[in-house]
Amino acid sequence: MIYNHLNRKALLIFLTALLSFSLSAEVSPDAGKKLFKNNCARCHAKNMKSDATGPALGGVQERWDNEADLYAWIRNSQGLIATGNARANALFKEWNGSVMNSFEALSDDDIGSILSYVQGTYLGTYPAPVAGAPLPGASDVAETSNAWMYWLLLGLLGIIAFVLFRITGGMGQIAAEKTGEAYVPKTLLETLTSKGVVSLLLFALIVFAGYTTVNNAVGLGRQQGYAPDQPIKFSHATHAGINKIDCKYCHDGARRSKHAVIPAANTCMNCHAAINYGSEYGTGEITKIYASVGYDPSEKKYIDGDKSEEELEAIYTKWIESEYLREKGIEELDKEGKDLVSTQWEEIVSSLTNEQKKTVQGPIEWTRIHNLPDHVYFNHAQHVTVGQIQCQDCHGAVEEMEVAQQMSPLSMGWCINCHRETEVQFSTNEYYKSYVKYHDDIASGKKDKVTVSDIGGLECQKCHY
Amino acid sequence: MKNQSNIWVGEKDLSKDPQFMKEAQQEFISLEEHIADEQVMENVGSNRRDFLKLMGFGLGAATVAAGCDIPVRRAIPYVVKPDEIVPGVATYYASSYVKGGDFCSILVKTREGRPIKIEGNDMCDMTGGGTSARAQASVLELYDTNRFKAPKITDGESWGEASWANVDQKVKAALKSGATRIVTNTILSPTSKKAIADFKAVYPNTKVVTYDPVSSGAMLEANQKNFGQKSIPDYRFDKADTIVSFNADFLGTWISPTEYARQYANRRRIKDVKNPNMSRHIQVESHMSMTGSNADNRILVKPSEQGVAIAYLYNKIVGAGASTSGLNERAKKALDKLAKSLYGAPGTSIVISSSNNLNEQLMVNAINNALGNYGKTMGFGQASMQRQGDDKEVAALVNEMNSGSVSNVIVMGSNPCYDYADAGKFVSAFAKVKNRIALSYAPNETVAACNILAPVHHTLESWGDAEPKKGHISLVQPTIAPLFDTRQGELSLLIWAGAAPSGDQPYYSYLKSNWSGTSSFDNALRDGIAHGASDNLAVGSSFTSASIGAPSKVASSELEISFYEPVSIGNGEHSGNPWLQEMPDPVTRTSWGSYLAVPVNFDGVKRFKGFNGLNDGDLVELTIGNKVMNVPVIQQFGQMPGTVALSLGHGRTEAGKCGTGVGVNVNDCLTIIDGRAQYYNTNVSVSNKKGTEDHYSAVQYHHTYGVKGTDSATGETINADEETLGMAYGLSGYQGALTDRSVIYTANAKNLKEELETLHEKRHEAQHLNDQTLYPADEYERTRYTQGHHWGMHVDLNACTGCGACTVACMAENNVPVVGKKEVSRHHEMTWLRIDRYYYGDHENPNVVYQPMMCQHCDNAPCENVCPVNATNHSAEGLNQMTYNRCVGTRYCANNCPYKVRRFNWLDYTTADIFPANQPRAFGEDIPYGADNLTRMVLNPDVTVRSRGVIEKCSFCVQRIQEGKLTAKTEKRSLVDKDVKTACQTSCPTGAITFGDQNDKKGELSKKLRSPLNYIALEEINVRSSVTYTMKVNNRDEALEA
Repeated sequence: MIYNHLNRKALLIFLTALLSFSLSAEVSPDAGKKLFKNNCARCHAKNMKSDATGPALGGVQERWDNEADLYAWIRNSQGLIATGNARANALFKEWNGSVMNSFEALSDDDIGSILSYVQGTYLGTYPAPVAGAPLPGASDVAETSNAWMYWLLLGLLGIIAFVLFRITGGMGQIAAEKTGEAYVPKTLLETLTSKGVVSLLLFALIVFAGYTTVNNAVGLGRQQGYAPDQPIKFSHATHAGINKIDCKYCHDGARRSKHAVIPAANTCMNCHAAINYGSEYGTGEITKIYASVGYDPSEKKYIDGDKSEEELEAIYTKWIESEYLREKGIEELDKEGKDLVSTQWEEIVSSLTNEQKKTVQGPIEWTRIHNLPDHVYFNHAQHVTVGQIQCQDCHGAVEEMEVAQQMSPLSMGWCINCHRETEVQFSTNEYYKSYVKYHDDIASGKKDKVTVSDIGGLECQKCHY
Repeated sequence: MKNQSNIWVGEKDLSKDPQFMKEAQQEFISLEEHIADEQVMENVGSNRRDFLKLMGFGLGAATVAAGCDIPVRRAIPYVVKPDEIVPGVATYYASSYVKGGDFCSILVKTREGRPIKIEGNDMCDMTGGGTSARAQASVLELYDTNRFKAPKITDGESWGEASWANVDQKVKAALKSGATRIVTNTILSPTSKKAIADFKAVYPNTKVVTYDPVSSGAMLEANQKNFGQKSIPDYRFDKADTIVSFNADFLGTWISPTEYARQYANRRRIKDVKNPNMSRHIQVESHMSMTGSNADNRILVKPSEQGVAIAYLYNKIVGAGASTSGLNERAKKALDKLAKSLYGAPGTSIVISSSNNLNEQLMVNAINNALGNYGKTMGFGQASMQRQGDDKEVAALVNEMNSGSVSNVIVMGSNPCYDYADAGKFVSAFAKVKNRIALSYAPNETVAACNILAPVHHTLESWGDAEPKKGHISLVQPTIAPLFDTRQGELSLLIWAGAAPSGDQPYYSYLKSNWSGTSSFDNALRDGIAHGASDNLAVGSSFTSASIGAPSKVASSELEISFYEPVSIGNGEHSGNPWLQEMPDPVTRTSWGSYLAVPVNFDGVKRFKGFNGLNDGDLVELTIGNKVMNVPVIQQFGQMPGTVALSLGHGRTEAGKCGTGVGVNVNDCLTIIDGRAQYYNTNVSVSNKKGTEDHYSAVQYHHTYGVKGTDSATGETINADEETLGMAYGLSGYQGALTDRSVIYTANAKNLKEELETLHEKRHEAQHLNDQTLYPADEYERTRYTQGHHWGMHVDLNACTGCGACTVACMAENNVPVVGKKEVSRHHEMTWLRIDRYYYGDHENPNVVYQPMMCQHCDNAPCENVCPVNATNHSAEGLNQMTYNRCVGTRYCANNCPYKVRRFNWLDYTTADIFPANQPRAFGEDIPYGADNLTRMVLNPDVTVRSRGVIEKCSFCVQRIQEGKLTAKTEKRSLVDKDVKTACQTSCPTGAITFGDQNDKKGELSKKLRSPLNYIALEEINVRSSVTYTMKVNNRDEALEA
């Protein structure tokens, strides 16, 4: 009984302590930085000055008249839009209806922290440029804010070098005077072609060339920004942006497989059996899907049996033609229409065939944009389903891309960096129960988060085997 | 000579062959030899000029590479994606591995519609999820480049491709007239039999001739006589206290080894050390078979003495007076004692024999009957159908063909021109047949002698069923669309008979309409087997005694030879499969070819001499009857003096690029008595050494660890390392713990308690020494595995029979390359998992222990801290990680590995890089073996294909660990045992290997780790291995040896 009582007392004290601790948390840009990284950085640029998936956040408080509205917007933007708030609706429209995630869990203090971090970063007042102040995380940003120190150092060294140069010159003169020789000061040319300078330059050249070579060699095979033409002018902006089709509807492998999977043509047909309006993309591009799967859009049914290329051409040119006539509201095909039909059909044939594949029917050969080397194991399901990472974190704002391109470098350093920073879903996934020590550390406050690297995410054989 | 405590790997070890001792101390044998490969470099030796040239080339190549565009890579999605396929996720289909009478219920792992791995089906009550090496390797045969790609017809001169219509028309015309014979091996499929019956209905003058590559004809006839059924009893080795096997290799090749091994291991595992309750296994044989190597006692009799040995036991048990003259006295004494113990415990034993002599099989049946074993340890309720053939039928066919009464022969998958005992006679008679039609999927000697070829699907492309035991029906389903223009054999028969159903998949419809299993077809298809057959040892009709004639006579010749079916390639059925060719024989540990096993004689002083003074790898002239062959020799412990042994299945002349011309064919050397092949010959002589084998490929002496050396000062046996230390520093007796390396611990069931005490003492001492470290355990040491996973493995050496299924499974799972005979002879085999075979006990008739040896994933790994580029390092989950892309090939790690489990890619075996000069051509082919696109389809896409110049080793199947962890994470639950199983674990027929998380205290592994029999190999060197072995316990009866 006594033990029990004691235990209860201890628990009470502990809880009180914990409560007071959490209450004592207040608005600080440091806390805001962490929160920003975990919640906002996926869509908002870190420099607060440029737009990303979401708008640049710098000066956000000035743009919102009512602070309460801003807080509501951050917590649940759709909720605010639903109330008819003018600013909210205008913003939503301005950003083509991109939905901002809701963050119901953020307290007022949290949001305050984030805003103060945003403000600080935007104005360059955070982190405070006080030398020697042991700011947590200050080292991360030291490169940019401490640059002036290096310039100062360089300047000082330059002055010292000049002074030394003068001194040696003077001493040479004195020495010459002492020995009675005539002192002939070195000309600039002599100085520049002297052994010391030449070897110094040579050394600098080698260092620079080596540095450049290594840097370029490291970058070999990387394709950041790669945006090749595809056989079908597929627009992610239309599908994922305007029409808000979930990424994982088409890329259904992302949640359950290594590969995100380029959808099979029959997935396209789920919608495009019905959606084929317009004689530009409607016939020019969507007909490629029909030709690939063997669907006759005029008859609205799949083509039975083998058809010769001529018969196929007849079927699809008839469809392009009829769409054109319908759109123009004319009966006879005019000259412009004839050109359109023939150019569209030629384009369809050239996109769907190549040296190996002679027929329009059959799979569409897309150009692969994201290529990892063969010795890299990467699993989409691990990141999307288990890690709850947003597609945009690696692939960028695909919903804004007319032509898909590779946003991230897909380099090992990039992977590793993310593994260092990203928290695992430690408390919500039963799997991590076996990490008893970390759970204890979190409970006792020793640790505030568990990152991928904490559970071995930097080890070789997580990705290479 | 008796020596109960010693453990050795072979003659070279025992007699401390200086060459072997030297090699054993090095990880790699002489380097000059490695480099001097004429393919790779003509001129060894480079100078500064070459270095500069190469540097220049390197820079140039880099510049060119930098200037080149990155290749455009395509991603080609499905047009219509099948529902069951998710690209990147494996799909498993239940099916069966069937080859003649060999059966295994399997799951086929497919990736993007491509079968890549065979797993056991644990719903099958026969195999219980176990597989055999042959079943594991069958997936490679699917991608065999030698497969027939279209039907062919020959005009007698050359083969020309033909259309199916053409073939059908020709065959139909031929079948109209004359008698037809279908020559086949055992058919397990009831539907195939139905198809043949339908064929016979249309062509009534048809007879089926069934035989097996290794015959059990006499046994079937004996059962016909005694029980009225031509089948093999359902043996239950798990119910027997005593197992007496007369030369039957029931754990390796005989009837149903996967099933038997599982039952056998159940009674060999020590569940309670206080009461071991093991079965006792006595093997009567001359050559040490895989089964014999697992036996407690071996009674040595010459091959021709087998018959009288059976008769002797028969006389003792049944009380008859069969002739036993010629049986050696030692065997008599042992059999006397054995008979007594058998007689004392009726209904608890199994007596079997592989003899192909009717009288001997009748005696075996009579013995079992007299001992009351029928109904107790064996029965006919679920009689085995796995052997149905009788070579007598082929003998009759040969006569028919010679007389000209047969005009059509359809050869259905079998290869009588090679594996029939009297193949010569068969070939000449076969040539007299007008129409010789082959239903085959790859070339063999019989197809070459045919004139019409109707190529068939591989099993993995076929529909079908199998009834390996009565009432036990298993289905075969295709897991890939036919790769070539082939047609299922049964369907060809149906089409020729005009009885084929119509539709897309006619044989599927035929199979389905023929379904008679106890569960619905779809359920059976899902599970792979139809449930319902219950444990039934009923005998059926009671024992009818038959008159028994005399057993075969004992020969008086000085030397006898026995022929045995190798565990790997069978009697040549799998010669074309490089995985099986490279898999070492469990006992002789030789690969790629035949090796004549000769007995070893102790010269009374120090050396063990091979028969005729022969050494391992010596070439001799072997004369059997009139046939003279050159074969290499292997010294075989446990081989009876006055006998030698050679394996069947080699010397194929038409077996594709990897099987042709490997070893020698001895099928024509069998003795034929009463129309049946006897697997020995008494008219044999072996010459003295005639030369040396070019590429002697026995792997037992490779990668030896824990070897002994001789202390130069005292002449005592000490550890080899210690000898080196002694030479360098003049130390001896240095570090007591190193002298006796703990590689293997053995005990007899009788004195298990004392032996366990010794074991624990030794372990305690080793642990004590390990604690005396200069680096006291710090916080990191103490806490590093206290959370998350800590992977480990447990290998029960009492359950391991040495069958080698795990080694092939490992090759399939991990893209381990095949290197070929020459490379094997240079110690370059790439296997990540090897099964070491150690002898112990009596030098003349030793016991054997098999030790599967793979990377031990040491938590204090010596390989890790010598790597200059940190390519091998340790994970937080206790894995010893190998990163191929970091590896620069210094091989320091391999040199420093105490277990010698690291393998170096001397050549680009799997053609992962772009320099053709690095790619080996093991079989002299145009395209390197690993470069062929068809062969490459078997590669596991989850495992990197290694290039030349990097080290590789067992990864504990890290790809499976990753997959299992992901499954648990997506299901938001803790990881459990079934999530992660290594390839070796799932393939094992006896469940000897357990893999798991040591931190999961409720897991199977933690349970096994509590066994008092456990030990860690080389525990004293403080590498903290993650693999635990158990002490090998035998149940040897010393009384039988007296």
